[in-house]
Amino acid sequence: MLKRRVGITTKTTAIIVAAIILVVAGGTSAYYLTLPTKPPPGGTVKVGFSISLTGSFNVEGAASLNGMKTATQWLNSNGGIIVNGKSYNMTLDYTDDASQTSNIVPLYTKLVQQDNAQFLLAPYSSGLTAAAAPIAEQFGTIMLSHGGSADSIWRQGYKNVFEVLSPASTYLRVAIDWLKANHPSDKLAVIYAGDSFSTTAALAAINYSKAQGFQVVYQSSYPTTVNDVTPQLTAAKSAGADDLLGGGHFNDGLLLAKQLAQVGWTPKFISLLVAVTEPTFQQQLGTAANLVTGPSQWEHTVAYTSDQAKSLGLDWFGPTVAQFTQLYQQVSGGKTPTYHSGEAAGTIFVLAKAIQSANSFDATSVKQVLSSLNFMSFFGQFQVDQTGKQTAHAMVLVQWQNGVLKVVYPTTVAETQPQYPYGA
Amino acid sequence: MVALAVILSDLLFGMMLGCVFAVVAHGLNLIWGVVKVVNIAHGEFIMLGAYGAYFLNVFGGFNPLLSAVVDGALGIFVGYAFYFSFLHRELRGKERITLRSEMVTLVSTFGLSLFMSNLAVVAFTGDFVGINWSPGTVALGFLELPLGALYVTILAVLIISTSVVFLDRTYIGNAIKAYSQDITATQLVGANPTKVASLATALGFSITMAGGALLTVWIPTGINPYMGALYAPISFVIVVLGGPGKMLGSLLGGLTLGVVIDVLQAFVPVSLAYAVAFLLLIPVLLFRPEGIVK
Amino acid sequence: MRIAGLGVTFFGLLALMLLLLILPFAFPFSTSVILINLLFYTALAYSINFITGMTGYVSFGHVVFLGIGAYALGASADVYGLDPVLGVLLGAALGLVFALAIGLVTLRFRGVYFAISTVVIALAALNIVLELPQLGGSQGIILNLGFQPYSWYYTIWGIVLFEMLITYYINRGKLGLGIRAIKSDEDAARSVGVNVSALKLYLFGLSGLFAGAGGAVFAWTTSGVFPYETFSLTFSLQMLAMIIIGGVGTSLGPILGAVVVYLPSYYFLTVAIGTQLIIIGFAVVVIALFIPEGIVGTLKRRSASLRELLE
Repeated sequence: MLKRRVGITTKTTAIIVAAIILVVAGGTSAYYLTLPTKPPPGGTVKVGFSISLTGSFNVEGAASLNGMKTATQWLNSNGGIIVNGKSYNMTLDYTDDASQTSNIVPLYTKLVQQDNAQFLLAPYSSGLTAAAAPIAEQFGTIMLSHGGSADSIWRQGYKNVFEVLSPASTYLRVAIDWLKANHPSDKLAVIYAGDSFSTTAALAAINYSKAQGFQVVYQSSYPTTVNDVTPQLTAAKSAGADDLLGGGHFNDGLLLAKQLAQVGWTPKFISLLVAVTEPTFQQQLGTAANLVTGPSQWEHTVAYTSDQAKSLGLDWFGPTVAQFTQLYQQVSGGKTPTYHSGEAAGTIFVLAKAIQSANSFDATSVKQVLSSLNFMSFFGQFQVDQTGKQTAHAMVLVQWQNGVLKVVYPTTVAETQPQYPYGA
Repeated sequence: MVALAVILSDLLFGMMLGCVFAVVAHGLNLIWGVVKVVNIAHGEFIMLGAYGAYFLNVFGGFNPLLSAVVDGALGIFVGYAFYFSFLHRELRGKERITLRSEMVTLVSTFGLSLFMSNLAVVAFTGDFVGINWSPGTVALGFLELPLGALYVTILAVLIISTSVVFLDRTYIGNAIKAYSQDITATQLVGANPTKVASLATALGFSITMAGGALLTVWIPTGINPYMGALYAPISFVIVVLGGPGKMLGSLLGGLTLGVVIDVLQAFVPVSLAYAVAFLLLIPVLLFRPEGIVK
Repeated sequence: MRIAGLGVTFFGLLALMLLLLILPFAFPFSTSVILINLLFYTALAYSINFITGMTGYVSFGHVVFLGIGAYALGASADVYGLDPVLGVLLGAALGLVFALAIGLVTLRFRGVYFAISTVVIALAALNIVLELPQLGGSQGIILNLGFQPYSWYYTIWGIVLFEMLITYYINRGKLGLGIRAIKSDEDAARSVGVNVSALKLYLFGLSGLFAGAGGAVFAWTTSGVFPYETFSLTFSLQMLAMIIIGGVGTSLGPILGAVVVYLPSYYFLTVAIGTQLIIIGFAVVVIALFIPEGIVGTLKRRSASLRELLE
């Protein structure tokens, strides 16, 4: 190749190159800064959050978002939030976080600083919630958690972070409570997925069941990437276990239930995390799903009512379970709300109730109300301890009975009795 | 004390699992051994095969064994397409693959794997799905073996032994073998190197995608866009254990891995069993780079 | 050809870093935190550039060093209440130690064998951490080190500055000659007296050190360490994509790649959901097959004037 004479000097080019780099860096920052910040228009309250619409939590994220949208729509068309006699509508300000912790800090800083969100909802999952908490704390903005249930978040001393759902450690208690009352001499096997949520739930269940006098004859976790649990099921069977507790996320529950047949083990009682509440669980398993139980934060068939609230001496706030489920179907295009939708929607009502009770948007007053608030919505009861951790919301036990998912325990909200043993 | 029954059962299940691993890795082995290229997106083609079986089941009511045949046929086309878009530029007219070309294929197939798995999330959603097919169990003394897994094991062995016979006894097979040893020798036996290499790649993809279909019997719920992230590294380890290009090596490597993973679980947590299985690769590469059996 | 002394690239990068030095004072936190992430990815890109960019040894499992650094900070801050800046130093030290140990074995493997051995090590590391209750096992470690944008920013800024200087120094100096010889033909390099093994180990150690430091900053900014998130191979893939797109082995490529890959994917979060990795994957395929020199390499090839300026 011929070496061309360059028309411009090295120095000039150097300046051009440097300038390009500077322009790129400066331009991107400037672009971001000049994005129109939207001051909340009069008569609205702005709630900011990021939600996982892509990445590993995309399914849970989408259900949660629909729940929030439904709750907001119900709220706004039923008088909004009343503060000082004036009605305010709620608006949601959200973006995708791709289920990645590294996105949380920039997104939440932007929500508070640039978008002027008055209140925050946490992202989905404990890991993302842990990343967002310091920002809520720094700016003194209230953040309500609807999908992060790791107990350790509430051991960090945060003053602005409140939990609406039951903590992970309480998930399997309801199943153990029922067993204790009915089959206290069963031997238990606990097999669970090795992710943060399932491990917390399973380890707490092991401790709780031991305290209740149960014998745990086998326990094992497995990495979530693994799709074969036959060795564990065989070992649990040969250890003489009667009942199987554990699971993880949706595919884990399905995997355990399916591979039971492969190793020829029929436990008397099965209670699995998360998966059981999904309609596809029954569709995929058919008869094998019959009589499998699982804990749930909420179900659209659960019987929380204003009468029940009254009998407990509590306020009722928001729609009935049926009203919520119906509106949800409109908002989501025909879907049935899952408990992720319930959690997220419940969070919106907690926030609205707290603002209304404080009769102010001021964070300090709302915080004060939240820490002592005790009321019931379609999602169940709400009350937190001094760390912000949920203490009153109860898990329910559900069971597939002849193709229908029924709430079976505790008796106060149950549709019917649990059936035992599995495989009968 | 771990019960003997548990160990025996783990051994048996481990061997069956090993055969499935073997067939999943076998396509990679063929391509690696013949064309000397490692397809980093191998796991994504397993994923494609698994989704193929899933959709054939949902829309056509096919069972996974039948779907494996359809997937295998589709794999031929996918393999040719892959060869001519990813490998041909690097291999054409060369007597042996250069280290530079090896890097190009490594990096480009890495990009392909990112592209495919994330496109799959958009196309199939991120949900875990599974195929509802269980032909029951057969009692074997104190053990019950799932029939579905047993069929898959037999098919896996059949596929691998067929490929051995094919390479040894047919003219095309001999040409492929010749190519794997020396590209110029291919021309001496009167075959066109490009035709031979592309055919070997196509066969490798055919086996890979069929393997993806067979795998669905073992993982009743594990079909999802990111499943390749587990089965690709498992395949790499198997091929290295068996020795790239040794057709029976897939079986040897697969069985070793399956048995190690399942039997170790009787003694240590599952995670550690997998960690040991993955790390087996290092001593083998250090001391027996040509595979555990000479 | 070569301009004596320091080149334009050097002054350009220096000017950029100086600009970045004052930016946090000129802009609100919401801008700084994006720049923190950008610098974090830049640090990762420079780190993998030392080994993969300079020698051609593709370290697919590079995330293992990020994970080690993250856990170093997480565990030391959680258990001993160690200052996070010291945690970053600890992360860097452990990253170096592990890189030397792993490199001593795996750098004997050529080409694809090296690449695969790094992948299995990363996977094994995740599986081992899951069973280590001292590191929180599968529950991970939740930290509360507070919202500290200035400390985050200047720590990661310092890491990137070091990486740039070292990269530039290596590429410019005698070391670079030996390293380029390894990349083009390792056996030939050995035969002319280049100490190939030592050089590779030196570079791998550097890359482990900086990935460890970056990982520690990651744990610090996200207030926690979780096994699957931290050992996610997506990190390896992202850093690799950045240097491939920017230009492997160059001094300018990694930061260019980080800007080109990270900023759009951040903006995409609010616009085109779920498309980032598809686009990145496609770009990597096209670049690897048709323009293997990346942006910097191509600019140098295309323009005679830029050839002398870009490094």
